[in-house]
Amino acid sequence: MIWHITKREIYDNLNSLRFALTAVLLLALLLINAIVYLRGHPNRTQAYHDATAEAVKKLEERSTSLYRLATEGPGLLYKAHSSLRFCAEGDEVFLPTHVNGENYFSDIAKVRPLWRLSHPQETPNIYNIRPDFTTMDWAFIVSYVLSFVAILFTFDSVSGELERGTLRLILANPIPRHTVMVGKFLGAFISINIPFVIAVLMNLLLISISDSVQLNAELWGRLGILYGITILYTCIFIALGLLVSAAVRESGVSLVVLLLIWVSFVVFMPNTLASIGSRTSVPMAYMEFWSERNRLDRETRKAYEDKYGDSQSTPPVHVIAEYLTVDAEQNERFTEKYLNQQITQGKRARAITRISPAAIVQHLFESFAGTGLERHLQFIENTKRYAREYRDFVIDADRADPMSLHAIGVPEGMSQKRVSPEAIPKFKDTLSLNRDFNAAVMDLFLLVLFLVVLLAGAFLAFVRIDI
Amino acid sequence: MLKTLIRRELLDNLMTFRFAAAVFIMLLLVVANTAVLIKDHERRLESYNTALKNYHENTQERKTYTSMPLDVARPPNPLSIFNVGLDKRLGNEIWIFHGLVPTLWDARMHGITNPLLKLFASIDIVFIFEVVLSLMALIFAYDALAGERERGTLRLVLTHPVSRGQILLAKYISAMICLLVPLLISLILAVILLTTSTSISLSAGDFFRIGGIILSSVAYLSVFYLVGMLISAATRRTGTALMLAMFVWGFWVLVYPNVILATIASPDTSQASAESAKNQIQQIWEELDRERKKFLANDAVPGGSPRFGIRIESGFNYYEYPIIDSSVLKHTLVSGANILKLHSESEPMVPHAQNYYRYLGPQIIDAAERTWLIRKPALETIFVQPARLDRILLRFSPVGIYDAATQAWAGTDLSGLKDFFTAARKHRRVMIDFYYDKKAFGSRQWFAADKGAVEWESLPQFSFQRSSTQTNAARALPDLLLLLMMNIFLFMFIFLIFIRSEV
Repeated sequence: MIWHITKREIYDNLNSLRFALTAVLLLALLLINAIVYLRGHPNRTQAYHDATAEAVKKLEERSTSLYRLATEGPGLLYKAHSSLRFCAEGDEVFLPTHVNGENYFSDIAKVRPLWRLSHPQETPNIYNIRPDFTTMDWAFIVSYVLSFVAILFTFDSVSGELERGTLRLILANPIPRHTVMVGKFLGAFISINIPFVIAVLMNLLLISISDSVQLNAELWGRLGILYGITILYTCIFIALGLLVSAAVRESGVSLVVLLLIWVSFVVFMPNTLASIGSRTSVPMAYMEFWSERNRLDRETRKAYEDKYGDSQSTPPVHVIAEYLTVDAEQNERFTEKYLNQQITQGKRARAITRISPAAIVQHLFESFAGTGLERHLQFIENTKRYAREYRDFVIDADRADPMSLHAIGVPEGMSQKRVSPEAIPKFKDTLSLNRDFNAAVMDLFLLVLFLVVLLAGAFLAFVRIDI
Repeated sequence: MLKTLIRRELLDNLMTFRFAAAVFIMLLLVVANTAVLIKDHERRLESYNTALKNYHENTQERKTYTSMPLDVARPPNPLSIFNVGLDKRLGNEIWIFHGLVPTLWDARMHGITNPLLKLFASIDIVFIFEVVLSLMALIFAYDALAGERERGTLRLVLTHPVSRGQILLAKYISAMICLLVPLLISLILAVILLTTSTSISLSAGDFFRIGGIILSSVAYLSVFYLVGMLISAATRRTGTALMLAMFVWGFWVLVYPNVILATIASPDTSQASAESAKNQIQQIWEELDRERKKFLANDAVPGGSPRFGIRIESGFNYYEYPIIDSSVLKHTLVSGANILKLHSESEPMVPHAQNYYRYLGPQIIDAAERTWLIRKPALETIFVQPARLDRILLRFSPVGIYDAATQAWAGTDLSGLKDFFTAARKHRRVMIDFYYDKKAFGSRQWFAADKGAVEWESLPQFSFQRSSTQTNAARALPDLLLLLMMNIFLFMFIFLIFIRSEV
C-alpha cells in the first residue's frame, strides 16, 4: 500500500514544473562543478608537487652535515591536496598551505639557534579584488540548493491536498494515516533523488574519465559516505516540509514559514552564529604574541648569558647545546600555544553553528572531502609528528657516531659525518578516513537526531490533522 | 477610484501572515547582525588605533631618515556595516617610501585575523536585504494577478469602470507600501543601534549615503516585486507562478552570482603584459644599479662599496637590498642606516657617504616614478580588468547591480578603496617635498643620528578623508539608474501582458 501511495506521489511530481526545473538546475550546477574543478586541479597538483620537490631538494642539500640539518631544519612542510576538493572547498584558499619548519633567524651572536615549527600568518587573499562568491562545490549544492528544492517539493504535500480535498478522498480508503505519511515521504524523497543522482553521476563521470584525477577505492568510499550524508540532510528538510505542511493547513502560509526557516537556518545562522561564537574565545593579538615571544626568547638568552656570557672563554659545548634546545623548545611551545588559541576560536565558532543542519552538513562534507579546518588540524598534527621524527633522526644519527660530543646545534660538538640524503625522513602528509570518521561522529549523530525529531513531529502533526 | 483600489489591496496584504512574517524575520536578522557587525567594527577600530599608536611610537624612535619604515593606515569605514565590500579584505596599512609609488598591491594588514576562521563569513545588512527582501517581494507578488484570476475576483473588479492600468498601479503601490514597512523599520533600528554605539560616529554625509543605500534597496525590492508580478501575469495558475518565482529567485540570488564567478575564469591577460612589464621594470633598476656602481667606482674612496668603511659603536650600520615581488610587479631598492654613534676614525668618511646619498636619493625617486608609469597600466590589466569584467557579468542579476550600487554608496567598492591609495601616493609626494625641503638626501641625518635627529614633526600628518558624498553618488548613479530602468521596463511589460490577457 505504501508503494502505491509513493508511486502516485512520484508520478505527480515527475509531471510537475518544479521537477523539470530542479532537474535542469541540478544538472547544470553539478556539471559546472566538475568543469571548474577539472580546470583548476592539474595546476594545483602541479604546484604542490613542485613545492614539495623543491622542499625535498633543499633538505637533501642540507645533508652535507648533521649540523646544518640540526639548525636549518626540514624546510617548508606542504599540505597535500585532496582529490575530493570538488565536494567541499572548505575555504582552502584562506588556510595556510604549509607549516614552516625552517630556521629564519640569523646568527644572533656566536651561536645560531635551532630550527622550530612556526605557522604562517599572512592573509592570502589580500590582493584579490574580485567580488566575493561562494564556491560551487557539492557542499553548497547540497546544503543550499537541495534543501531549497526539498522545501519546494513538500510545502504543499499535505496542505495542498487538504485544500483540494483529495486528502479526504485518500483517507476514506482503509489506509492507516502513517502509511500515507510514509508514502508521501518516500515519494518526495525519490522524486528529489532522481535528478540529484543523475546529476551526480554525470559529475562523477566527467571527473573520473579525466586523466588528471585518480579516484581510488578509498575516495569512492568517501564519496559514498558523502552521498549518505546528503540523503540524511534531504530527509531532514522533507520531514520539515511535511511537518509544516501538515501543521499549517494552508499552502501559502506553509511556504512562507518554510522559507523563513530555510533562510534563517541555511543562509544566516551558519555565518552569524559563527561570528558570535568566535567572540567567546579570542586569541591574543598577533602583535602581542610577537612581542611576548620575543620577550621569552630574550629571557632565555639572558639567563644563559648571566651564567656564561660574561666569561671571555667560550662555554662548554654542552652548555650551548642545552641553551639552544631550551630556546627552540620554549619558542615552539609558545607558538603552539598561540596556534591552539586560534584553533579553539575556530572550533568554538563551529560548535555553536551546529544548531543549523546546513552548517553541520558543510562541516561533514569538509571532513570527508579532506578539506577545511578538520583537515588542516590533521595536517598540523602530521607536521608535529614529523618534527619529532626528524629531531629523533638527527639525535640518533649523532649518537651513532662515537667521535661526536653529542652537542646538538654546535658545529664542533656534532658528528662530522655526511648523512645520506635518502636516510633523512621526508614529510608525507596523509589523510586518515578513520580519524575523519571519529571527528564526524558527533555531527552525524546530531543530523540523525534532527531527522528523528522532525519525523516524529511530522508524524504527530499528520495523525492529529483534522480534515 | 485608485484610492479605493489601493485601500482594498493594502488591507488584503496587511492582514496576511506573510506580512507579519516579513516584518518579524527582517527585524530579527537585521538587529542580530547589526549587533554582531558593530562589535566587529569596534574590533577593527581598535586595531586601527593600536596601529596608529605604533606608528607614533616608531616616529619617536626614528632618528635618521632611513632607520625605520614610515607606515600609514586606513581607518575602517563605518558604512561597511551596510555593505562590507572590499573594506575588510584589502590591505589597510601601507609603507610610504620615496622609492616606491604605493598601490593597493603593496599594502599589508594590521591586526591580522585568525586564518582558521572563515574570513568573509560576516553578513552585512545589504546581504540580508539581497536575500530576504527579494524573497518577500516574490512571495507578495506571485499571486497578485494569477490568484485573483483563479478566484474570479479579477473579473469582478473589471466589471467596474476601472482601467486595467489602474488595477496594476494600485496593486504595485499597495504591495510596495507593505514591503517598505519591514525594510524601513529594520533600517531605522539598525541606524539607531549604530548611533548608540560610541565607537561609530556618523557624519551628515554618512546619513546621506545611507539614504542612497535605502533608495537603492527600494529600487531593488521593486524589481523583484515586478518580476513576481510579471510571472503572475504571464501564468494562469498560482501554483505555476509560485514555482517559477521560486526558481527565478534561486537562480538569480543563489546560483547565478556564484556560478558566473566560478566558471568565468579571469581572462589571462597576465602572462604577456606582465612579462614585458616585469622586464621593463627590471631594466630600470638594473640601469640604476649600473649607474650607482659607476658612481661608487669614481668616488674617492677605493673599494666601490657604499659602506665607505664606516665603523660604528652603536645603532645599525649600512644596509642596502632590493625588494622584489614579481607577482605584483613590485621592485625597489632600500638603503640606509641608523648610526647612533660613529667610531671616531670613521668621521672623515661621512662626507663621502653624504655625497653618495645625495646622488642616490633622487635617482631612486626617478626610478620609482618610471616604474610607476609601467606598473600602473600593467596592474590595471592584470588585476583590475578581470575584476571589472566580473562586475559587469554580475549585473545580469539584479543582485549584482544592487550590490554594486550599495558598495558605491558606502564607499567600500574598488574606487572607494583606491581613494586611500591615491591619498597614500599624495602623501609620498608630500614626504618627498619634505625631503627636498630639508635637503635630506645629502644630510648627515639620512643615515646617522649622532649630530641631531630628524625633526619629523614638520612632516605634515597623513590624513585620509573618504570621498565626498557627491563622488559616492556619482559612482552609484549608473547602477541605480540601471535598477530604475529595469523597473520601468518590467512595468511596461506587465502592462502590455495584462491588457492583452483574457480574464
